[in-house]
Amino acid sequence: MTKFIRKNLAGYAFLTPWLIGFLLLAIGPILASLYLSFTKYNVINPPRWIGLDNYTYMFGRDARFRKALQVTFTFVAFAVPAKLIFALGVAMVLDKGIRAIGLYRALFYLPSILGGSIAVAILWRQLFNADGVINSLLELVGINGPYWLADPNYSLWTLVVLAVWQFGSPMLIFLAGLRAIPQELYEAAEIDAASKVKQFFAITVPLLAPVIFFNLVLQMIEAFKSFSGAFIISGGSGAPLDSLLFYTVYLFNEAFSFLRMGYASALAWVLLLIIALFTAIAFWSSKYWVHYESERG
Amino acid sequence: MSFYNRRKFLTTTAGAAGALAVANALGMPAFAQDRRIRHFWWGNPERDKRTLAVIDIFNGKNPGIVVEGETLGFADYFTKLTTQIAGGNMPDVIQMGYGVMFEYINNGAIVPLDDYVGKSLDVSKIDQSALDAGTVGGKLYAVSIGANSHVTMYNKRLYEAAGIKVGENFDPFGWTYDDLARIGKAIKDATGVAGTDDNTADYQNFSDFVGQKGAVMYTDGEYTVPQEVVEEYWATWKGIRDAGATVAAEETAALAGVAELAQTGLVTGKSATSFAWSNQLVGTQALMQDPIGAAMYPNTPAMLPGSIVQPSQFVCLTRDSKDAEAATTYMTAFVNDLDMTKVLGLERGIPSNPDVRAALEPQLTDIEKVSVAFFDGIQGKTAVLPPPPPSGANEVEQTFERLAVEVLIGGRSPSEVAADFLQQAKDIIGRA
Repeated sequence: MTKFIRKNLAGYAFLTPWLIGFLLLAIGPILASLYLSFTKYNVINPPRWIGLDNYTYMFGRDARFRKALQVTFTFVAFAVPAKLIFALGVAMVLDKGIRAIGLYRALFYLPSILGGSIAVAILWRQLFNADGVINSLLELVGINGPYWLADPNYSLWTLVVLAVWQFGSPMLIFLAGLRAIPQELYEAAEIDAASKVKQFFAITVPLLAPVIFFNLVLQMIEAFKSFSGAFIISGGSGAPLDSLLFYTVYLFNEAFSFLRMGYASALAWVLLLIIALFTAIAFWSSKYWVHYESERG
Repeated sequence: MSFYNRRKFLTTTAGAAGALAVANALGMPAFAQDRRIRHFWWGNPERDKRTLAVIDIFNGKNPGIVVEGETLGFADYFTKLTTQIAGGNMPDVIQMGYGVMFEYINNGAIVPLDDYVGKSLDVSKIDQSALDAGTVGGKLYAVSIGANSHVTMYNKRLYEAAGIKVGENFDPFGWTYDDLARIGKAIKDATGVAGTDDNTADYQNFSDFVGQKGAVMYTDGEYTVPQEVVEEYWATWKGIRDAGATVAAEETAALAGVAELAQTGLVTGKSATSFAWSNQLVGTQALMQDPIGAAMYPNTPAMLPGSIVQPSQFVCLTRDSKDAEAATTYMTAFVNDLDMTKVLGLERGIPSNPDVRAALEPQLTDIEKVSVAFFDGIQGKTAVLPPPPPSGANEVEQTFERLAVEVLIGGRSPSEVAADFLQQAKDIIGRA
């Protein structure tokens, strides 16, 4: 027993640098923000305790909060499935033996490495500008393209496309998952004359379910937190007409443009609860559609 | 309570200082004997170039004090400042504008200068009106860098190409919105370039219009613009747009709330007329080839004054400054030293020190001459400076710019949007 403690002690000792960082840089600020969410805090003056006022205002009177939720939910609802389907499609193509497959994999992964970067958002703005690349191409085939980013009917969809384009990391995970499916199953299906579509739904999807679930949860959390694309493309404000008012963009504006750090902290905690809730729902639903090989079902 | 405890900070720095003292006693050279001052401003490439050159001059003239410049675009400036306030490390000297400055003063982030006046801070030559603008509750908080007013900037080449001539069919100091529609249309027809930017979502022009209609923006801390004035403002610009004088409404919507000079229609070449602050003439000209002309904002036929003359920017001392004496010494030089102000020129507005103005006179560039002539032209045609706006005014402005986009690209009717705007303005002021 003493040996066991000593052994673990050494482990914790080696963990100390990380633990200190975790406590000071993560847990500390997180608890501070929980406290601040019950205060009125404009950064310049010390915070003042106001109880639940931030939360009652948020749910009772804040129209922009509701708008931010609507934009964010729409984005999550469309970007996540679209990205997963696209990533799975590309992974299935790459799973076949193609020459120079490594090169393709690297190329397809590239946008995800650039992922949250500012440069990609700026590139996107250039592509979808009124006189940008997309509209120039459309003009060649005689279509007069809209003002993608300035028109609230289109602006959010350009960001959905941007999210789908960054399909690299779920694709790699899908690829690994596809490799793990035994080839014999497909061979047997061939012999039984099952169509490719049938094979996909009867073999690939069920066996890939754990991987799909993993990607779904990860991408959903990422989509809820999505910030830099909307921030850059809307010039930081969620424009036009709040159509790009992602939750995090609204939070940032409340904190740094209007100096309502207390209210912004409350917003952050509500976002945390929303993400926790949706993750819990995903886990609860998983027992109906995700089966692990080790399980007896 | 504050999370950034000053005492804790002091004990750590004291430890470091102690180590330094030991190093000194051992005869090692101390590496940080200079008094360091940080100066932070928002700018444009031209301003940054000039200000950094001025800092070099100051450092050359004042051995023992080292000023370091920090700069950002306007949009990011206040974000950075906020994080610096939270961290307790604001630069010593910061730039502020008439408006948001009062929130910083009310909250104590900017400190009074009275203790330094006559010692390290010399404001004896500064215009009284400029000093008054930086005074709150009898205390001086801010030293004005220069005077400023709203200006219509126009592309002289395109105006000439369309046959628009000052004195014949264009009065830069007495034109109306109807004139703007007529001129804009003429330019569009003659050159193919849109005659003017569209100010539907521009709060600066709106604030002029409020004065031009004899209304007042804030009375006793309440937002007191009547709904008719908001609606009439948008109707006026709709008239100009419908006349075919402006850039496309969608184009305007995309730029609503963007304050970068490089994005104005005048600089991008998408229109012949843009609207700005008069000190921005210099920075704008640096971004384009065609010569720029200056006019007042258009008015209604009644010609009630709407534009005001106000300090363009101030230099202020922050509560985080650890060497206020060195900081105020630098501030003094920044507004008085003839070598330094010569480099700054009129880029931050017409200087508030008459000696500086006189010294600049012989060496003015073409665009600076335009700027001076503009200031001569507006004399007697401007409104009185209103009292400082209440907290939240900045958010009201952004709300206007956000909602006005709906007027541009459809959705609700202008009167619905106007009612919504006034309701939100009331809420914002009430909540601040």
